[in-house]
Amino acid sequence: MVWLRTAAAYIAVVAIALTINFALPRLAPGDPLSFLLPEDVLAEMTEAEERRVLAEFGLDRPIPVQFADYAAGVFTGDLGVSLRYGAPVMDVVMDRLPWTLLLMGWALALSSLLGTALGVMAARRRGEVRDVGTTVLVLALGSAPVFWVAMLLITLFSARLGWLPSFGAVPLMARPGSWEYVAGIAERLVLPVTALTIAQTAGVWLTARSAMAVALARDYVTVARAKGVPERAVFWRHALRNAMLPIYTNVTIGLGSLLGGALVVETVFSWPGIGQLVVAGVEARDYNLLQGVFLVATLSVVAANLLADLTYPLIDPRVRR
Amino acid sequence: MLRTLSRFASLALIATGGSALAQGVAVGESGNAVEPARFVSEVNNAGPTEAERLTLGMWVSAGNVTTYTIGNSWNDWVLWLVYDKLREPSPYVGNSQDWLATDIVQVSDDATVWDITLRDGVMWHDGTPFTAEDVAFTFEYYREGPPNRWTHHASSVPRMVGIEVLGPLTVRLTSEKPMPNFDRITAADLPIIQKAQWEGVENPREFTEIGIGTGPYRLVDYEADRFYRFEANENYWRGAPVVQHLDLVMIKDPQTMFTALKTGEIDGAARPVPPELVLEWIDDPDIEMISAPTLWGAWLDINVARAPFDDRELRRAITLAVDTAPMLERIMLGQGKPGTHSWPHVDSFWTKPDLAAPHDPATAMAILDERGYVDTDGDGMRELPDGSPLVWDLKIASNQPLFLRAAEMVGDQLAEVGLRVAVESVDPGTLSALWRTREFDLRIADITPHGIADQDMLIILYRGDAGRELVFDEQKAAIVERWLDAPTREERLAVSYELQEYQTRYPNRVMLWYPESTFAYRWDAFDNYIPSAGYGIFHKYSFLPEDARGDVADPLLGN
Repeated sequence: MVWLRTAAAYIAVVAIALTINFALPRLAPGDPLSFLLPEDVLAEMTEAEERRVLAEFGLDRPIPVQFADYAAGVFTGDLGVSLRYGAPVMDVVMDRLPWTLLLMGWALALSSLLGTALGVMAARRRGEVRDVGTTVLVLALGSAPVFWVAMLLITLFSARLGWLPSFGAVPLMARPGSWEYVAGIAERLVLPVTALTIAQTAGVWLTARSAMAVALARDYVTVARAKGVPERAVFWRHALRNAMLPIYTNVTIGLGSLLGGALVVETVFSWPGIGQLVVAGVEARDYNLLQGVFLVATLSVVAANLLADLTYPLIDPRVRR
Repeated sequence: MLRTLSRFASLALIATGGSALAQGVAVGESGNAVEPARFVSEVNNAGPTEAERLTLGMWVSAGNVTTYTIGNSWNDWVLWLVYDKLREPSPYVGNSQDWLATDIVQVSDDATVWDITLRDGVMWHDGTPFTAEDVAFTFEYYREGPPNRWTHHASSVPRMVGIEVLGPLTVRLTSEKPMPNFDRITAADLPIIQKAQWEGVENPREFTEIGIGTGPYRLVDYEADRFYRFEANENYWRGAPVVQHLDLVMIKDPQTMFTALKTGEIDGAARPVPPELVLEWIDDPDIEMISAPTLWGAWLDINVARAPFDDRELRRAITLAVDTAPMLERIMLGQGKPGTHSWPHVDSFWTKPDLAAPHDPATAMAILDERGYVDTDGDGMRELPDGSPLVWDLKIASNQPLFLRAAEMVGDQLAEVGLRVAVESVDPGTLSALWRTREFDLRIADITPHGIADQDMLIILYRGDAGRELVFDEQKAAIVERWLDAPTREERLAVSYELQEYQTRYPNRVMLWYPESTFAYRWDAFDNYIPSAGYGIFHKYSFLPEDARGDVADPLLGN
């Protein structure tokens, strides 16, 4: 019965999200005409001619008809044609997805590890100079605009030192699959992953530090200490295991953002991911493309929440009861 | 100190030197000329004039490089790598030369019938011969098919009523209105597409195949928004290009693109260098810069479809209140020309040479007083004639920081004559939509050479505006009608001049500045760029052998 209720809740969430995904791009002022044709051409077009262009993409049909088409497409996988790319939306999105997974996956993994490690260490030395220093550094970096951090990294490591490429995901001239190709991807990954890691670490760090500080102040920690359990064991076995619960939730939900892409970082580094598709879709008012990208983002967030729901009892026995 | 002085001296030369030298350029009957390009860097190195491979940065996607996925002057140079026109280089210069055509002849006295003789031996990229069928098909497709940036040449300005193939290499076109400049404008603007590839294509915007052209480069691979790979067409009828492989990579962020140029990841940046970076790079040992005429402009757009801007005297007061000279100095760091010449572009072949839009706030205030825009509540700002508050919105696109500065200056200048504006920044898509639905008061935007350096497009803009005007302007409409009926070049130019004067006095667009477009490249990779009006230096002519270029390039001073 509980499972049925949970499933119904998820279905309702997805249905509402899909409706918002359809409505949101259309609520923005404008339409694709301004992207398809320059102003000097639009200047003389009649309304009938404008409708004719919109009809090429089915955008002259009533909104309920467009919605029905979109809803059916969600189940069949046919999300229409992107007016910006002239290709099926599903193909365009699937082409970009691996690049976003690669970028966001590394950033999530590194920021989770780094944020957790630094947060836990900070909680252990709470109030000490090292804790204050780490707090200032992490919060300062986390508060810095990510585009600014990205530009600093490019300026330092590409322009000044010449160590790393400043844009793109692949070396154009390398044969796909070759060592040069793989190495080229790896070196192009470093700067955008670093920028994203810097931006995302602060959130994990705050959660980890706070959770660990709370855990260290709990009665069971005091009892353990009173019983003479060594401090190292108190810290790692008693406090950290309990502190991991909110950190795990944080990281699991972060998985949901994996497929959403990173708009700013992808734009600055010309990284061909989902984030750039969002920017391109908004610029062109490419409704089909935006619906497709939002669909992927919605499903990934829902899937991440589902994963958290399903796995939480495994790490926290209290939830099983 | 000396270096700084040297930099400013160079910039001053860029800004002022060209105009004096331009006076002596022969331009034909219009009396106006494109200003010569200028070599900007302090040192002119001698780099290679040929290259095996060149990587250029671009910032606006070109789709699959067809006339339906390229529609503006940001990236039309990519299209011209693949496609040719009947005459080249462009409609902006007035002296285009035969390209795919060997002869274009006016047949009827009223300039409605023209015969085109085509070059023999030209081949499409797929190895099939180029024929009159392709040219006729191009005009038919553009007349009947979905609209794009070029279709107006066949569908409306003027509409072609007869398209006949007279022989394997001869086509006759008949239009419903005179087209005395067919050879100079339409023939120099319209890309010719292959009948075999396009005749079955009903929705060209969903067509994803690689376009087949007759141009010097074949597109061999692309991923829109990521990269384009071109290979030289060794059989190009004017001679094989001097760069064998041309790779274009998409870099949207300007800072990243110029960093990539500096680090050598790309060999050229196909977007103008920001004014402040020109100063920084003027003595850079790796990079050379050329200031080339791109014929762009920035203007203040007045919405004539909304009261009270239908009052032409009010618009005159606004243009008199705006002072464009300080804008050029403060915003463009002097790199360009002020909008005092009004529009069309000060360097366009079609522009009346002595146009002038003076800055005269005293007269502006007198006009405003006379029209009833007076300060009734004593706050120092004027109210509308009915006494209600006057606050006009001035919209700009959020991705245009220079326009934000310009908007603030326009706001200050209008405030000096008692007019209050509120600057509002919106995303580019929204601004464009507001423009189309005429839901704005004032707007600052840029305008491409197609809009301000092509006589036919000027009429389209004037006529389009007329259709959207709140009160129909009979005087302007009458001039436009006379232009449409003018059967000779001379008559048409004279009427165009009349229209330009009228528009300068009662503008619906106030020209703010004409930017100097400076382009940068790494001279050690390739050092054989030539300027061409409207395209800058990155275009197919730069990659053709010297003897194949003909007269498509502009003079380059200081090289």
